[in-house]
Amino acid sequence: MADVRRTSAEWPDRTARRVAPTLAAAVEALANTHERGFTFVDTQGAERFYSFHALHAEALKRSYGLRRLGLQKGERISLIVAESDDFVLTLLGAVLAGVVPVPIYPRLGFKASDGYVDSVAHITNAAGSAAIVTTEQQEPYVRDAVPRCPSVKQLIDMKMLAAAAEGEGLDGRAPSERELPPVEVTPDDIAFLQFTSGSTSLPKGVVVKHGNLAANCRAFMYEGLQANPQAGDKGISWLPLFHDMGLIGFVFGPLFTDIPVVFLPTSSFARSPRVWLEAAHRHRATLTYAPNFGYALAAKRLKDRDLQGLDLSCLRVAGCGAEPIQVATLRAFADKLAPTGFKPEYLLPCYGMAEGTLAISFTKLTEAVHADRVAPEALQAGKATPVADGAPGNDIVCCGTVFENHDVRIVDDAGNPLGERQVGQIITRGPSVCESYYQNPEASAESFKLGWLYTGDLGYLANGELYICGRLKDVIIVRGRNFYPQDIEWCVAQIEGTRRDNVVAFGITEDGEEKLVILAETSRMQAGALREEIPKRVLDEIGLQPFKVELVALGTLPKTSSGKPQRRKTKALWTSGQFVASTHGAAPEGAAAGAQEISE
Amino acid sequence: MTRTELIGLFEKTATEIAERDIKGLSELTEISSLGIDSLGILELVGEMEKQLSIQLPDDQLVGLTKIGDLLDLVEKRRKLAS
Repeated sequence: MADVRRTSAEWPDRTARRVAPTLAAAVEALANTHERGFTFVDTQGAERFYSFHALHAEALKRSYGLRRLGLQKGERISLIVAESDDFVLTLLGAVLAGVVPVPIYPRLGFKASDGYVDSVAHITNAAGSAAIVTTEQQEPYVRDAVPRCPSVKQLIDMKMLAAAAEGEGLDGRAPSERELPPVEVTPDDIAFLQFTSGSTSLPKGVVVKHGNLAANCRAFMYEGLQANPQAGDKGISWLPLFHDMGLIGFVFGPLFTDIPVVFLPTSSFARSPRVWLEAAHRHRATLTYAPNFGYALAAKRLKDRDLQGLDLSCLRVAGCGAEPIQVATLRAFADKLAPTGFKPEYLLPCYGMAEGTLAISFTKLTEAVHADRVAPEALQAGKATPVADGAPGNDIVCCGTVFENHDVRIVDDAGNPLGERQVGQIITRGPSVCESYYQNPEASAESFKLGWLYTGDLGYLANGELYICGRLKDVIIVRGRNFYPQDIEWCVAQIEGTRRDNVVAFGITEDGEEKLVILAETSRMQAGALREEIPKRVLDEIGLQPFKVELVALGTLPKTSSGKPQRRKTKALWTSGQFVASTHGAAPEGAAAGAQEISE
Repeated sequence: MTRTELIGLFEKTATEIAERDIKGLSELTEISSLGIDSLGILELVGEMEKQLSIQLPDDQLVGLTKIGDLLDLVEKRRKLAS
């Protein structure tokens, strides 16, 4: 049986370290730390440093503000703040007040506002927030959601919060300990609600308790990263703070372990990935993280001259997680950065999800990225059989081992444990694993069973290490062979005229058999060539004949807030015939409204 | 630089980022119809900033939907810079 438990004997020093029992206690414990803190860089490049002492003082002030505005322990607030300093300080203020923050992504440019207001209203209603806390800049986009959220009693902006914290406008007195005694926060209290990005359905709020946060932050910061403030560790991150990897990985984890961090705006990284590396160089950062696409973007955009003068030998961890990891991408990044002193072993693939608080498994710090090359036919049959050296196969990146006091298992559809190198659903349990989605018993019952989190991800264990194959619900099973949509999408995206995240593959049932459908966004000009090239390439590389390949107009595939294609929504739209109208009409006469049937 | 030239620069930059030909855009083209995700659009904005030696602040990008809206902002920032 593939059941792996990490014992403390295997991690002697690191697990001896403890963290505060709650995030509130962790922030309070830093009240006298003046030398380390958070540096917030704005979009103009200006840096503002808050020592942990100052961070605690300002968060405490905001906690008074929230309490004086009438918010009580356990009440939820929707938090929509684009500026990283205001976001972190207000969120920590809520935590110190025992109020439960619900981070919501701020509105981004270039999109119609209707969808955004819908998201804010949906999340706010699912959380039952008593208030929406936002900035003067975001307020116009948020205001329209308020009438649709019956639980919301107030729309609070930063000025109102500051005024309440200072005591102006209420009773004219500054808040005092006597007026507002500290709120008791326990490990069993909810720290925050993490709404999942909803790549497959409406967002659900993962209930993250203080105990979960403490357990996971201890695990990934100490066991995983061996973080040590005395050794000069420093984080650098451009990850969005409304996302778990940015928020837990770079705000909460470092607060529990006294590690300084430099925060860059996500938009600055997207405009120019050099900003990330230049800041890492200048601040002598040791720890950073990015999803696979971040490394891909950096490798693509950086010119050799961008790297001149950069010394990145200061880094020791460049972690990768949050989306499927492509070994080729990581290697291209390491090659590109080699002149800066960046070493391939800095790259650290890991696996996690919001329902497990953040991190579930980590690879070892000293190991280079390791991929398992397995035989495609065996994988399709649910077995990860390594191929002979040099033979072609599917590269699956190793995501390492689970943390102390956590378990991982691979199970079949009936929940029975599977053996070594057998592919099945990954389940996990331990103190980091959350218990439910907020007030959503139906979804909770599906994912959380008897203490185990059913991740919905398919993978296998080999020598105690975890490998991820794909999402269970998205897997396409054709004549008993399992195909992973991301492999097919990756294959199609390599063809000129298509682009990453503009391709969706899914299975449909036709005449009792599952068949492959591919939708790719492309310009009308390139549609002709692609119509032939896509099925050919997929057949060559994946070994599966697509049933239909549809080339659709640019911008028509539904995407999540982070720009990922929504497979199940796309499938639903396609099966209901809604994509037909937007396909390029270059198909031969007689084909249904431009739909191009490739085979059958 | 005229509006037409700015659209030309936008097309050239968008082509580079999307790695496919993007042509025939107008002031009224919706930016979301280009098939470039939000990060790609920011790459595009970053490249335009570099080419024109201006800065387009994030908060002023919110709510822009058409290419003409973006060009209005570009012209405003160019005037400010000169």
